[in-house]
Amino acid sequence: MSLVRPLLSALLVLATASTPGLAQAPPPGRDPQIGQTFRVPYKRTLTNHYLVRCRINGKGPFNFLVDTGAPALFIGTEAGKAVGLVPDERAFWTPVDRFQIEGGIDLRNVKARIEDPFQLEGMNALGLPGAQIHGILGFTILARFRMEFDPTDDRMTWTRLDYDPKDPYVPSDPALRQAPADVQAMNLLGPAMKLMSVFVGRQPEDIRLPQGLLGIELTEANGRLAVAAVLPDSPAAAAEIHPGDLIEALANAPVQTAAQAHEAVSRLQPGETVEITLRRGDQQLTRNLQATSGF
Amino acid sequence: MPRLRHFHHILIGMVVVYAAAGMVLPALPEAALPPPPPRGDAEPIVVPFKMLPSNHMVVDARLNGKGPYRFIFDLGAPVTLLNNRTAEATGAIDKKAPKSFLLGTRGEGRIDRLELGDLRADDVPVIIMDHPALRALGGLFSRPLSGIIGYTFWARYKMTIDYQAQLLTFTPVDFEVRDLMKELPQRMTGPKTARQVVHAPRSLWGLDVAEVDGDQAGLGVRVTKVVPGSPAADAGLQVGDLLTSLDGRWTTSVADTLAAAEGVPPGRPAEVVILRHGIEQTIRVTPREGL
Repeated sequence: MSLVRPLLSALLVLATASTPGLAQAPPPGRDPQIGQTFRVPYKRTLTNHYLVRCRINGKGPFNFLVDTGAPALFIGTEAGKAVGLVPDERAFWTPVDRFQIEGGIDLRNVKARIEDPFQLEGMNALGLPGAQIHGILGFTILARFRMEFDPTDDRMTWTRLDYDPKDPYVPSDPALRQAPADVQAMNLLGPAMKLMSVFVGRQPEDIRLPQGLLGIELTEANGRLAVAAVLPDSPAAAAEIHPGDLIEALANAPVQTAAQAHEAVSRLQPGETVEITLRRGDQQLTRNLQATSGF
Repeated sequence: MPRLRHFHHILIGMVVVYAAAGMVLPALPEAALPPPPPRGDAEPIVVPFKMLPSNHMVVDARLNGKGPYRFIFDLGAPVTLLNNRTAEATGAIDKKAPKSFLLGTRGEGRIDRLELGDLRADDVPVIIMDHPALRALGGLFSRPLSGIIGYTFWARYKMTIDYQAQLLTFTPVDFEVRDLMKELPQRMTGPKTARQVVHAPRSLWGLDVAEVDGDQAGLGVRVTKVVPGSPAADAGLQVGDLLTSLDGRWTTSVADTLAAAEGVPPGRPAEVVILRHGIEQTIRVTPREGL
């Protein structure tokens, strides 16, 4: 949920100004990506939020929340600082020369609001999503695309439309940008959740580790699992494993299929040792392989 | 949990943030997860939406045969949210259910039947509260808003959002809609140990990579080894190449690279983007089955 502060402020002013005088986006040159379709990888957080990775002026990547409930592009102050974006005290929007979204999307000359919506502040303080969220992709970015989203697919499909959405109206006088009182009160929640994190603790992010490499190419034949090839200069080569050897067990688990072999070493890390039992002719051989880094 | 109680008002505030009331009102009966949605043999259903001048998407929805009511359609909302008035009018909650002092939060209710045009979802869990932002938006445009349609509804579908045509298209998919309201309290009070995730590609590439410092940090990983005779070597990768993406995913760390490789099954060609002497090249690699 991110009906966030500035949009609300913008709204309020819409009412007082009583004119839908939406500011027109500056006339952009035709985007060469119009008509192109992109496969955008995303991550679903533990809080059921959908994150995509973005680069701001070539730097990053940063995690952005895909949020049709937000009217514009929001960049958190931390990410803003990390890429050297300094918001102008008087200007509501900060120009961003280049904004890239993982999957090949490359937008030029977009406007961002640099601030920390309380939702992000609170969630990040508690670490609840399981990943730091650096900003929000709202309407002014999302509406440039036809977005296809299938929760059973690991990527979204975005097609660039020939359409440049308008910015939400923002009053020139900062004093008019105040949100209604009860909405302002909600802004206190971010710091309150930060305080609470002192007591309940912050949820740690996952530690992501690479699997180790053994250097064995596999083949399945006649219900048996065999070594198809051995990569030169690999742990398997060092242990003198040969093409044609049948693999009977791996990490103390009997294996007959490639899927079982993958499962047996799915948590093997570089430097760790794993036992492999092979059949070569009528011989049974046991070898210890120390995994290296690589894939 | 006792320590949490001291922060009751903050927790209620968090309901606003997550629109998730389960952790605030742990005494509520736990609702079962919605049944799996129908299989994908259904035709896509097209639903129009409108944009508010504030750039929010609005859809008309019928609740338990009543309405239409106006909802914000929100891909950033992990739950579906309903205001008290609409909840009572549609029977989503008992009128006598107690209200919290803050924002009229009443915890969890259910909508037996939620319809957007010809699209119908049964048994949708909702959080009932009067969200100030909705009140403000509704008041501003002189047309009340009844709530927010979030994850617990749209995650049941394959969905297309076309802002230009102002149309949503839905096709049911078989996807377990996770109940945040059950998971969040457990997560808040559970152990604070980080999970270890090992990225384990099924395919053998014959590559090793390392993270880089300086100007190119965050841009990619350096190829430190290419095994002779391997798929990577066959495709022409070289030591020193800066690998910036693999199969359309950015490779900004070793873990990222392995995570991207995890998505490529053996035998399927994948595009790898490298910077070699500052020039970008795209190379196709077909990894093989291996360990």
